[in-house]
Parts: sequence; C-alpha cells; structure tokens
Amino acid sequence: MRLDGRTIPYRVLANGVRLGGVVVFGVATAGSSETGTILSPTLVGVVALGVLSIVGWELTRFRRFGYDLTEETVDIRSGVFSRRNREIPYERIQNVDIAQNAVQRILGISEVRLETAGGGSTEARLRYVDAAEADRLQEVISRRKRGTTTDKSTGEAEETLLFELSAREHLVLGVVSADLRLLGLLSIGLPAVAPRLAQGFGSGFDLVSLFGPAIALIAIVGFWGLSGALQVLRYYGFRLTRLGDELRYERGLFQRFGGTVPLSKVQTVMLRENVLARRLGYASLSIQTAGYAPGSGDSNVESAVPIAERDRALALARDVEPFGDLSFTRPPTRARTRYAVRYALAVLGLTGVLWLGSAVTGLLALWYVPLAALPAVPIAAHLAWTHRGYYADEDYVVTRNGFWRRETIVVPYERVQTVASSQTVFQRRRDLGTVTIDTAGGGGLGNGNAVAVDIDASVADQLRETVAKRLQSALAASSHPSPASPSKTTRK
Amino acid sequence: MVEPSEERTSESDDRDGLSESVESVDAHTTDRRTLSPRVQIAWAVRVLASVSILAVIGRFVAPRVGVDPQLIAGGALALAVLGLVWVHLRFRVWEFQVRDDALYLERGVVTTVRTVAPHVRIQHVDTSRGPIERVLGLSTLVVYTAGSRGADVSIPGLTPAEASDLQGRVKELAIEAEGGDAL
Repeated sequence: MRLDGRTIPYRVLANGVRLGGVVVFGVATAGSSETGTILSPTLVGVVALGVLSIVGWELTRFRRFGYDLTEETVDIRSGVFSRRNREIPYERIQNVDIAQNAVQRILGISEVRLETAGGGSTEARLRYVDAAEADRLQEVISRRKRGTTTDKSTGEAEETLLFELSAREHLVLGVVSADLRLLGLLSIGLPAVAPRLAQGFGSGFDLVSLFGPAIALIAIVGFWGLSGALQVLRYYGFRLTRLGDELRYERGLFQRFGGTVPLSKVQTVMLRENVLARRLGYASLSIQTAGYAPGSGDSNVESAVPIAERDRALALARDVEPFGDLSFTRPPTRARTRYAVRYALAVLGLTGVLWLGSAVTGLLALWYVPLAALPAVPIAAHLAWTHRGYYADEDYVVTRNGFWRRETIVVPYERVQTVASSQTVFQRRRDLGTVTIDTAGGGGLGNGNAVAVDIDASVADQLRETVAKRLQSALAASSHPSPASPSKTTRK
Repeated sequence: MVEPSEERTSESDDRDGLSESVESVDAHTTDRRTLSPRVQIAWAVRVLASVSILAVIGRFVAPRVGVDPQLIAGGALALAVLGLVWVHLRFRVWEFQVRDDALYLERGVVTTVRTVAPHVRIQHVDTSRGPIERVLGLSTLVVYTAGSRGADVSIPGLTPAEASDLQGRVKELAIEAEGGDAL
C-alpha cells in the first residue's frame, strides 16, 4: 500500500519553506545595493531549478515507499538510493502513535509512528497517510497484537473511558505549568542588570527603581501565562481510554497526538507533582514502556495523564500497577546537613563569581545580593530532605525525590534491570549511599530512573541486595514460557 | 563489603529443586576476582596522555596570561603523580564476581559503585579490545541489558582467555536463568 497522495504537496511545501528561507536570506545579504539583481534571470533560474528538484525528489521518494500489514508483520519498503526492507512482528510493536500538526489537519493526513523496544527513537514512520487510514492502521495493529498474545479473553473488548480532561483541569494545567526556572534566572539577572539601567537613566533613576520591579513582575507573569497556554494547547481535550490490554490517549488542539500504550509492556509508573500542583492537590501521571516514554516525539514533559486530582491520579496509577499504600522512609538527618552545606556553598560560590565579575569589570555593584538567600538555605535543605524517600514492599520499590518537581516512581520488581549502590567521597564521609534502580523505561539520560538518594550506607547495600533478590523471586513466581511479558493476573 | 552467603542456598531452593541445575549453576559461578595488574598500565597511559595534552596547552596559553611556564611544568607533574595514584587506587578497588543469579561489580575511587546485573536481564555480552589493550594483551567484557544504562556494565583488564571464559559463564547462566524475555 502507498502513502496518501497529499503527502507530496505537503512535503514539497515543507521543504520549499526551508529552501525559501535560505533564498530570502541569501538575497537579503547579497547584492542589496543593486535592486535589479533580485529579479535577475540567473536567480530566478536557480530558484526554479531548486523547486523542480524538490518536487522530483519527493515524487521519487513517494513512489518508492510502500507498506503492508501481513499475517505476522508490518512490512515497510522505503529508500531512493539505498533500499530498505523492514519487517516488524506485531508482538514487538510497543506503541502506535499518530501525530498531526495544524497544516496536516487541514490537509487531512497524519503521521503514524511505530515503536519497538529496541532503540530510543521511533522505529518506523509512515509519512503521511490519510487520517482515517491512520486510525484504521492503529486499530488493525492493535487487534493483531491482541490476537498474537496468549491471553485470548480480550477478543471482543470494549473501549472504556478512563479519564478525560475537564474544563477545570485545563485551567489547573495552565496555572501549574509555569516554568519556574525563570524565577531563578531573574534572581541572577536583576542584580547584574538593574544598576546599569539605573546609571543609564541618570536623572530618571527614581522612575526606574519604581518601574523596575513592576516590569519584572509583568515579565514573570507573561512567561508564566505563555508556558501555561502552550501546555494547555498541547494537552487540549486529553482523553485516556482502555481497550483490552492497551491504553489509548489522544490530545492537542492545533497539533493532534494519539497513541497506544500496551499495559503488558509497562516498565514503571511515575507521578509528577510540581510545587504549585502539590498546593492545589493535583498531580500528573506518566507511564513508561520500554524504548521511550509515551508521546516523546514532542520531547517535552510526557504524561499519561497531564493533570488530575492527586487521588484520581493515584487511582489511575493503581489501575496500571496495583501498588498498595505508600509510606516513605526518609534519608537520615545527616543528609539534610549535607544539603545545607551544599546550598550554602552554592550561594557563596555565586556571590564570589559576581564579586570577581564586578572587580574585573566594575559593573556589578550589587554583587552581594545573592547573600540574601543564605537564611533560606536551611529551609531549602529541609524541604529537599523532606521530599526524599523510598519504600520497598513485597511487590514494588518506590522512590521519591524533588521539591520543585517531585517525582514518585513505582517500580515492580520484575521490571528491574540492574541495581547499583554508589557512594561519592562526600557520602562516604557521612556514611551515606545512593541506590539506583535501572529499568528499561524512560529517557536514557537519567530521567525517569528510580533513585533512592542519600540513605544510610548499610541500608543502601541491603536495599541493593533485596531488590536483586526480589527480582528473582518475582520472575520465578510469574514464570511464563511465552515470549510476551508475563500477564498481570498471575503476579502476586 | 556485604556478601551474605546464606542468600545463595535460599536462591537454590527457590529454583526447581533439581540438584542438577543447582550443580550446573555452581559450576559457572566464581568467587571474587580482581583485574589483571597490567590494566594499570593502560589507565596510566591514558592519564599521562591527558596530562601532557593539558601541559602543552598550558605552555601555549601561559605566556599570554602572564603565568610562569615553570609553574605549568610543576602543575603538570603534580597532576601526573595524582593521576598515577588514582590509577593504582582504582585497580585496588576493582572487583567482580559471577554470582548464581547476577554479575556483581565493585569499582570506583572518587565514587564507589557496586552494581548487580542479574543474568536474566543480560541481552548480550561482547568483548572489546582497544589498541592499548591489544598491546598489553588485555580485553574488556561489555554486558548489555535493556536498561537505560545498557553498556554501563563492563569489566576492563581481563586477559582474552579470562574474557571468553567469563563470556561463556555469563551466557550459560543467562540461558539457565528463568524469566522469559529480558524485558
């Protein structure tokens, strides 16, 4: 089967825009003195040649692309110069995502992305098929996957709605999604910039000192509103449904995204609460499968549920992984001292850097302003310590970290890959250690890994061995010879 | 160093209970082992190479910044000595063991890390040899799991015989490990 015909004009347009940008830039920077050269025959010829070659290239690429849904696999043939034949077995397909940006919505086409467990990026993309065809593909692949697992009872399952973002939750999402790092930036930028502005204004200094804070406030609120609005647009109309052994979601106002999350491939479940959400009693839920986190074509904060009341989010999490009540063990109090020292050093270091800067350039008159943060250091240390913890019971190990953005990660023992305990020089001095529980889900750069930080050193060693041991017994308890992952019902 | 040996027997009991599988598992496990001392040479070469590059850069930059070139030489020497001390400490700390259910590694000077890599999670095992290692007659064993730190589990400083022996043991234990696919 072929891609949809509207692909060609869309791709030509997309490439043309890029090329057009280059041409405009070139024209603008080149012969600006002689207006006659803008419409010179050679330039027009070059542009026309470029457009023709783009059209030709896209036509060829379109003709060379084909896909098929066979009994066992999805076959994809592609490539102009180097041909590529790919066969992906249905049971190895983890997620099927559908993406549609604004222009594609107008044209009625969408992109289908297939994910397998190998590699961190999308395994196969169909760019672009008719929107209805994309839904059909998702449906068929879903059905064929269900057919190939040993659990046949989900033959005629219905789609049940698990969660839908209400109007109020849209609002909360917008409010809560402010990028709080901006506050940090402003606290550094202000001491550097304000005095210079004041000097520049000279006699109007009083005005600046009056309007300065107001401008800063407007800037903060502006950025807040902007990042909140973007998040609302991204998750507009979010719906989460369950069909048999699969979760499906769809979201977005201008750009639509939809995807499937196979429950049997779930690695970990993460609850995210930033400081604002916590105050309001809301949280967001993220489900990680092997290969990547759902919807990561967007490379931003990914969620299975972008925002919901905390109890609701917990209940949904328990639908996926039935963990019990969580009671966290905090790190020993000497860890708190460690954080206090660390933050104090950071503040002093920043002050030192600013002082050096002012000594060298003579501009930063207010280099001592960061010192005002020193009284806040013990509070910050306590907060960081309070929100840390771990919990391990018979079936799950759970870690929790972070004040500004608290992440609670639930790891079923049978999803543990490797477990490691580590001690830096400073931790050794205080007899502390950190346990990292590696899983197959989430982004590779340490994002989404369950870590129990700064716990007692001997407890860390014990925890490491316990997790490894429980992994073995969890696997033994639910041992299935089938290649698909063990089904949930047999796990204790 | 925490090594509860009682864990081994309870683990054996958890298995099928057939004495044959217990014996074959025991046949593949090892006790705690260290790396070949020659690996210190490989590490020292890398450290000295980095220090000398830094020294060369320092030599060029120093006159412009107004720093005495002899200071640079002294600093480079101090760094080199520190580096060699670090290399030796690193060798002293490195230990590994093939346990009956996992590969256990202990390493690190500034940050000590103790890793448990269960056999059932091992996707594949590679041996690799860089140019310096080839000259010294050493190789590295790289164990891949499905975790996001896939190739974090690697054991350097093994003789080729040791490396393929370990590769064989880990492979046998991975096959014998219960649990289906490594996800």
